[in-house]
Amino acid sequence: MESLKLPKDTMLGAAIVTVTGNREAFIENYKGILEYTTESIVLQGKNAKICFEGSSLSIDYYTNEDMKISGKIDALRYL
Amino acid sequence: MLHWIQYLRGYVVIKVWGYSVERLLNLLGNHDILVWDIEDHGGYHTMHISVDGFFALKPLLKKTGTRAAVMGKYGLPFFVSKMMRRKLFVAGLVCCILFWCLASRFIWDIRIEGNYALTEDVLMDYLEERGVRTTMKKSALDIAALEQDLREDYDLITWTSAQLKGTTLVIHIKENDMPSYEDRADVKEQGMDLVAEKDGVVTYMITRSGVPCVACGDSVKKGDILVSGAVPVYNEDTTVRKYQYVQADADITLRYGQNISLEEAIAYDEKCYTGESMEIPVFGAGEKQISLRLFDIPYGYYDISEEKKQVKLLDHLYLPLYYGKRTVQEYEITPKMHTDEEMKALLQEQWRKIIVTLDEKGVQIVEKNVTMKKNDKKWVLQAHMQLEESAVKLVPTATEPVVSPEAEEEQAQ
Repeated sequence: MESLKLPKDTMLGAAIVTVTGNREAFIENYKGILEYTTESIVLQGKNAKICFEGSSLSIDYYTNEDMKISGKIDALRYL
Repeated sequence: MLHWIQYLRGYVVIKVWGYSVERLLNLLGNHDILVWDIEDHGGYHTMHISVDGFFALKPLLKKTGTRAAVMGKYGLPFFVSKMMRRKLFVAGLVCCILFWCLASRFIWDIRIEGNYALTEDVLMDYLEERGVRTTMKKSALDIAALEQDLREDYDLITWTSAQLKGTTLVIHIKENDMPSYEDRADVKEQGMDLVAEKDGVVTYMITRSGVPCVACGDSVKKGDILVSGAVPVYNEDTTVRKYQYVQADADITLRYGQNISLEEAIAYDEKCYTGESMEIPVFGAGEKQISLRLFDIPYGYYDISEEKKQVKLLDHLYLPLYYGKRTVQEYEITPKMHTDEEMKALLQEQWRKIIVTLDEKGVQIVEKNVTMKKNDKKWVLQAHMQLEESAVKLVPTATEPVVSPEAEEEQAQ
């Protein structure tokens, strides 16, 4: 697979998380929302859960593929 | 951009609460229903949802065991339906637009520029006569004909240009500033004498046309003829055969003495504003005026100044309505005495003004003798001056034509 140089996200279905500073996060390839409060947002990826912790977190928008989170992000953990 | 699209399509802000809001969010995503700005408020979530999405929400709510309530409806579709309920308002809006369209087809203001000798009233009356007036239809105005008629009817106007700027008719004119030929011919017919305007001594004299009657150094009285406009033609026996009439023209300077006395009292009443003042609003319509005053003016001495403005629609369309304010300022009168320096300055200022006035009139001061006298109550400035001035004026000649047989013969020929 390495030698074919195919994008890993499409092949493995892995989630891509882009964090801008600690104020914004942009998540692609997630499967669903597990928990949503102002302190934590937990998303389901293909193989792992992605957990954002912080304060005054909110979802700006989301579609089936991607999502934008804003607020003060303190930690990003994979469960 | 996104905001505009959201506004145009319309959206609903809803409040969602219940067993599993996260599950509802997942379902919305799977059903391709767009939601944004999702916020957690502890017990409930708020979110923005598209109008179509809102209608597809019901089965999902049932499935997830959540409930939703509308908090607000925004966007153009809601605005339009709201407007539809306010028929009078919409009708008013439409009427307003129609009114503007209609009103812009008329002339609401006429301005004339470039006129000096011809007054605006004269030209306005002329335009009125021709049917060019405010509130006339733009389409009824023939600009080219108006320009031509203005030039033809007024000899004084040498150039015209009329143009419509919006609802304003602007007429530019140029006047002929050369005196007309007839005006100049008139004077020559009659013959004019130069006479003295004041008593005095002739100090300078150069005659260009006419017969000089005095010489330098001669004393003249007011009304004396200095240069005659009647030039005699003599017979061989030195009797006057006839007169040729001309307009007398000469540079003449007369010298005369003048006494001036200025007085200034030492005691004066000084007006001291106490700083107390009040403003009274004033309204007026036509000749009538109302001032909103609830009580009498409580001051002993006071100045009243009034500022009034007239209501106008356009630059020249005044309505007979006024508004403004009346300011009442209290003052006290205190008797005071001028100091010597002040007195001197006051008199000198008055004296300076007199000299400036003389200078403006073209009067030259040849000699002056100024004295200031002071007594208990007042100061007196006395001045004796020798002034030089071209104090002459033109009058129609008084010399009668000679009635002699020869002259009559000549005239008959």
